[in-house]
Amino acid sequence: MDTTTSPPSTTTAAVRARGLTKTYGSGEAAVHALAGVDVDFAAGEFTAIMGPSGSGKSTLMHLLAGLDSATSGQAVLGSTEITGMDDRALTRLRRERIGFVFQSFNLLPMFTAEQNITLPLELAGAKVDREWFDTLTTTLGLADRLTHRPSELSGGQQQRVAVARALIARPDVVFADEPTGNLDSRSGAQVLSFLRRSVRELGRTIIMVTHDPSAAAYADRVVLIADGRIAGDITDPTPESVLAGLDALRSLDDLPAVVR
Amino acid sequence: MLRLTLAQMRRSLGRLTAAGIAIVISTAFVAATLLAGDAMTRTTYDAVSRSYAQADLVLSQAPMTGKDLAVVGSVPGVEAVHAPLTGWVEVPNGGGITYLEVTTPAQDPRLEGSTVLDGRLPDGPGQIAMPADVVERLGLSLADQVPATQTTYREDPEDPENVVPDTLEDELELVGVLDDTGTALMGGGPAVVDRTDLARWLRFLEPEATTDVHHLVLVAVQDGVPVTEVRESLRTALDGDIAVRTVDEQAAETVAGLTNSAQVFTAIVLGFAAIALLVAALVIANTFQVLVAQRTRTLALLRCVGADRAQLRRSVVTEALLLGVAASVVGTALGTLVVQGVLGILTRMDTDVPVPDGVNLTAVSVLVPVAVGVTMTVLAALAPARAATRVAPLAALRPAEAPRVTHRSGRVRAVLSGLLMVGGFAGLALGVVIGPRVDLMLGLAVGVLGGAASFVGVLLGSVFWVPRLVGRFGRLLSRGGVAATLAAANTVRNPRRTAATSAALLIGVTLVAMMSTGAASTRASLDEALNDEFPVDVEVITANRSAGAPAMPADVLSGIRGTAGIAAVAELTSTVVMVNGTEEIGVDAVDPAAAAEVLRSPEQLAGLDASSVVVPAAVARWSGITTGSEVTMLSDDGTSLTLTAVVTDLAAYSAVVLPEVLEQLDPSAAVTSVWVRLAHLDDVERVVAEIQQLASGADVAVAVQGAAVERAFYQRVINTLLAVVVGLLGVAVVIALIGVANTLSLSVLERRRESATLRAIGLSRRQLRGTLAIEGMLIAGVGAVVGSVLGVAYGWAGAQTVLGEVSSVGLTVPWRDLALVLVVALLAGLLASVVPGRSAARTSPVAALAVE
Repeated sequence: MDTTTSPPSTTTAAVRARGLTKTYGSGEAAVHALAGVDVDFAAGEFTAIMGPSGSGKSTLMHLLAGLDSATSGQAVLGSTEITGMDDRALTRLRRERIGFVFQSFNLLPMFTAEQNITLPLELAGAKVDREWFDTLTTTLGLADRLTHRPSELSGGQQQRVAVARALIARPDVVFADEPTGNLDSRSGAQVLSFLRRSVRELGRTIIMVTHDPSAAAYADRVVLIADGRIAGDITDPTPESVLAGLDALRSLDDLPAVVR
Repeated sequence: MLRLTLAQMRRSLGRLTAAGIAIVISTAFVAATLLAGDAMTRTTYDAVSRSYAQADLVLSQAPMTGKDLAVVGSVPGVEAVHAPLTGWVEVPNGGGITYLEVTTPAQDPRLEGSTVLDGRLPDGPGQIAMPADVVERLGLSLADQVPATQTTYREDPEDPENVVPDTLEDELELVGVLDDTGTALMGGGPAVVDRTDLARWLRFLEPEATTDVHHLVLVAVQDGVPVTEVRESLRTALDGDIAVRTVDEQAAETVAGLTNSAQVFTAIVLGFAAIALLVAALVIANTFQVLVAQRTRTLALLRCVGADRAQLRRSVVTEALLLGVAASVVGTALGTLVVQGVLGILTRMDTDVPVPDGVNLTAVSVLVPVAVGVTMTVLAALAPARAATRVAPLAALRPAEAPRVTHRSGRVRAVLSGLLMVGGFAGLALGVVIGPRVDLMLGLAVGVLGGAASFVGVLLGSVFWVPRLVGRFGRLLSRGGVAATLAAANTVRNPRRTAATSAALLIGVTLVAMMSTGAASTRASLDEALNDEFPVDVEVITANRSAGAPAMPADVLSGIRGTAGIAAVAELTSTVVMVNGTEEIGVDAVDPAAAAEVLRSPEQLAGLDASSVVVPAAVARWSGITTGSEVTMLSDDGTSLTLTAVVTDLAAYSAVVLPEVLEQLDPSAAVTSVWVRLAHLDDVERVVAEIQQLASGADVAVAVQGAAVERAFYQRVINTLLAVVVGLLGVAVVIALIGVANTLSLSVLERRRESATLRAIGLSRRQLRGTLAIEGMLIAGVGAVVGSVLGVAYGWAGAQTVLGEVSSVGLTVPWRDLALVLVVALLAGLLASVVPGRSAARTSPVAALAVE
């Protein structure tokens, strides 16, 4: 098992953060959710961001996805700097280059599975690529569920619809926020394998926030975060190595964890 | 439990406020109506009692003679008595005559009903004091000599069959100008003349009658003597037929008669207030339904920890009660302020009617609106309260889901709605058939019942058809982009709420469309009736036409043709002939082509040719001529012609022939009258005035008769009534629009996470606002369109039922009004979406990631 702190690379990174800071409040009451984060996420990789509650993992994701504005520092998608963009530009960016998978699925109840999947394309006014649509729905095992509404689908099926929705526009990167948080372990495992397959077979880039070590083990790489800083990096994780990394965080609190 | 209710109310303050506004508006409506009705009654009361000056008692109802007056004077406690004579006098002015009521001055100034503005009251014969408005109208000033005449008709001494006019002419000096304020409601104040003059006039009019008869006697009571005591003594002393009342009693008695109409008016306006209340009730029921649905988890939790059903129901009802009380009090205050404001403006505007300078707050005017508002709110909340009790404790344990109020729409509702609609529309149709053919009242009753039933059916069934219609309209729109697609899908998510919102608007729009269609159809058929009644807009004739009327001066003729606003002119030549050797009648000749252009009902001269004469029905009746009978006409120079009579409804007193026929009867016949048709009826006053101006310069007397004046008056009455009614119904529409805004903001709150998700996956703020705008317009638009269709049907059916007998009522669709309603509804739907849209757009996409 080879886990090392990876040096920031500039060549194949899909998403980069440089000195990314987020502070809530001011003066003595200031809370540093992110205290200067430098991290790269390689294209064509499945990365998990892990950390204890309040470590800043969600904030990092919000900033990288352009959902929230940074106090300072840069977030770069491909070669586009997204920090400092206005709402319109961010909306365009999300529409065309970013996909989202949410913990509570967030499908629109009045639309069928198919309508939910193609919604991002409709928003962009783009045509549906049927071949890609078929590939996605077949891979995700949704082909015979397309006319169903969310209320007629199981949690696992709903989340797979959400994954398809995130992938339909072939975004540069997909952000998944605790995608298995509301699922039982079997459905969760299914969704995670689909995420991994979509990276390996369909060439997508996925960044997933989770606090579940076994979910993180599906990723190619795990970035550990604690107290608003990058606290470790695990390549080709297993549940055991992730747990070990988390334990190290607890024992060595402020120091970067180097797991051997 | 109360603390919990209050806490929940605080949390839902925004939503409750919207429902509260609906209650405020409708209770303000009720309060304003009651207060305005009261103000009207008091205005009348003041006007009545003012004419009694400072009298304490009023004797009336039976004629009183000098003997009675002597009795009155002898009753202890009576200080002064005023027994005015009353009559009428004619004051000739220009071409017309002004009729003035006259009375006599009181000896005791306390009993004098007239207030002198300038000059004094008459103190001897040959003097008159007139109300300020009359003085102004007649262009008089103090010390002017005013002609005053009395005209009566007496048997002709030479021919007992005949009556001849007898005129008494006087010249009076204008010695005083009287205050006319407060008399407008009583038909203007009387002029005052000396008793000897009025007595002389009354004797002239009826020589046998005694002038010693009084119909009204005013009595002043000595200071310190109770008025009621004197009243009782007078009642005992006088004949039982004579009513003895205090001034207050007398005024109340008079007002009771006068205000019958005021009360009817108040009742009608209250009817409109009831409609506003009904619409508000729908909005409130809707709001509470959603509140309960949104609190499902809290309610379930309460059930889990031991609250029973009754407690939950009480909590909702208490909430409604508190909201109802608060909003109704505000509404009543608002209504009071509005009436107070209007009265203030009227007082300052110096109208002829003295208005009270403040509202008269009574227990009724305060408590009734509050009670009505509270009752309505609580009633509207009962069904949602029942829904609250149906929340299962288990719901607290289920994962949170978007709250829903979708109930399975019952089969009972579907069947009932269907039956009501089928039966109701059948009744409506039956009314249309029965009304004109069998019995108007029966037809009207059947029609109104049918219409009401069908409307209830439509409202009950709204939950079925509104979502479908909205969905269909939405699909049409969805080609317009993703915002429309989303909006269309959103509106059908909650069919019950969409239906209730749309239905609230539907009520108002249906009624507005009904009134406007009814009025348009009625106007069309009324126009027909008026065309028959007043075929000629303006008729200009040289005076005294019966016996060889003088020719119309050429400059007047050309002047008429040159007057602006005239569409067509026809000149009539005339002569007088002996018909069938018995009757002398006037005969006019007019060019048929010109007449056809001028007459509003040209068929009245149809069939006129060289061998026929058109005889007006009025002439035909007393001369015994019928259609087809032979009429022999003998002119002054001995020419005799026999023509075939055609009797028509022509509203005239002369027979009409072709010019070439008249030429044979009287070769020298001149143009003596002109028929004028106006381009626009509204111009009638100006045109008549201009022609009168022309005629006044002529050396022969020329009279201008404008039937169009009367006609324009009728039309103005209808238009004004319609405007008032539509304005009153507009309140219901405004309340319904609050409902639309309410529904939209509730949707925004419910769909917070959804909106955030959409924003996260690429919906722009504009698109999100657009979605809500389209949603608002869809809901409002469907209500407006369906309401318009229903309203047109009801309005036409009503007009057909009532007027079908008189004339065939064509369906006149007031397109302009309907378009206006639709535009207003759509704009309001758009407007209603602005605030919710802004709050929705403010939602950060991060909210989509949040876990409840």
